[in-house]
Amino acid sequence: MSGLLRRRPEGFAWLLLVLMVAGLLSFGPLCVRGTGDASASVGEADVAVRQAFNATLDAERAGANVSGLILRLNEAGGILVEAEMALGNGNSSEAFSKAGQCVGIAESVRSDADALRVSALDEAQTVFWTYLTFSVAGIAAFVVVLALVWRRFKRGCFRKVLGMRPEVAHDEA
Amino acid sequence: MKLENYKVIFVAVGLVGVLIFASPALSLVLRLPGGERFSELWVLGPGHMAEDYPFNVKANEVYKVYLGIGNHMGGLEYYRVCVKFRNQTEPLPDALNGTPSVLDPLLEYRVFLRDNEVLEREVLFSFQSISFEGNFCRVSSLVVDGCVLNVDKSAVWDEENHGFYFQLFFELWVYNATVSDFQYHNRFVGNWLNMSIPV
Repeated sequence: MSGLLRRRPEGFAWLLLVLMVAGLLSFGPLCVRGTGDASASVGEADVAVRQAFNATLDAERAGANVSGLILRLNEAGGILVEAEMALGNGNSSEAFSKAGQCVGIAESVRSDADALRVSALDEAQTVFWTYLTFSVAGIAAFVVVLALVWRRFKRGCFRKVLGMRPEVAHDEA
Repeated sequence: MKLENYKVIFVAVGLVGVLIFASPALSLVLRLPGGERFSELWVLGPGHMAEDYPFNVKANEVYKVYLGIGNHMGGLEYYRVCVKFRNQTEPLPDALNGTPSVLDPLLEYRVFLRDNEVLEREVLFSFQSISFEGNFCRVSSLVVDGCVLNVDKSAVWDEENHGFYFQLFFELWVYNATVSDFQYHNRFVGNWLNMSIPV
């Protein structure tokens, strides 16, 4: 190398220039792709958090206890904001990494929320049938008991009426 | 009492009993109307009270306020709070039309709250560079919760109130699952700040 430098200094300068240009050409698209990738990742993270929220909302409406999911959703939301900030400050690698972290949490929340929703719906169905059975059986038993009481009461009333004797009025005059 | 009267009493008792026994099943089907649905947004001073808000501010000093959000919407909500900074001439949100300020948010907070849940968080802010030139005051960057934000805003000396006034304000947005987007929730709170000239 030192021999080449001594013998052909202008050749070495050309070689360096070519290498620098090649390096710039390969680094440029990498930079652009890095920013674009980070932006796309942050967009994906945003969508993932929204989907996780929708799934959690459905689970809550089905009657599931979603307290644990909300803690994780808040964590994902915080990381998403950090990713957006990093992207805004031009820190693509941090934005990419935070977005990936956010997607991971959001997807786990979504799958857990789906599982919770299914189990809550099953539980709700069991509760519904139990309550319905109790209500129908309770009403039937109550009506039967009330009818029996009414019959007994009516019979007692009739007996009382039939057992009455006319009162004898005394003429005091 | 006549037998017919007793019959009426038995029928009434029967109906009441049927309703009592049917109530567990009815509770699963019937939904009673809830109260008014709304969200809360507030700012408190450094002592968690509605007093001692930062007002006369200067560069490189950290100020603290508490930002609170309350959910009374009847279910889980996804909120976004946009932090914005303006001078006296820039627009605030329009409360009558329910439209947000046209200014870009400097920072956002994303919060998930269940029904009747409240969140209060500390917001620390400071100004890194404030310059004064005649009747103008220029704020170049604002630091909120450790994030350096380029604001580049100028204010003209307010003759009436004797100060260079800026406002740090927070807008509340809520996620609408039907349209899959955030919508301005017509709530905002702000804090006026007077940039003090260093002596």
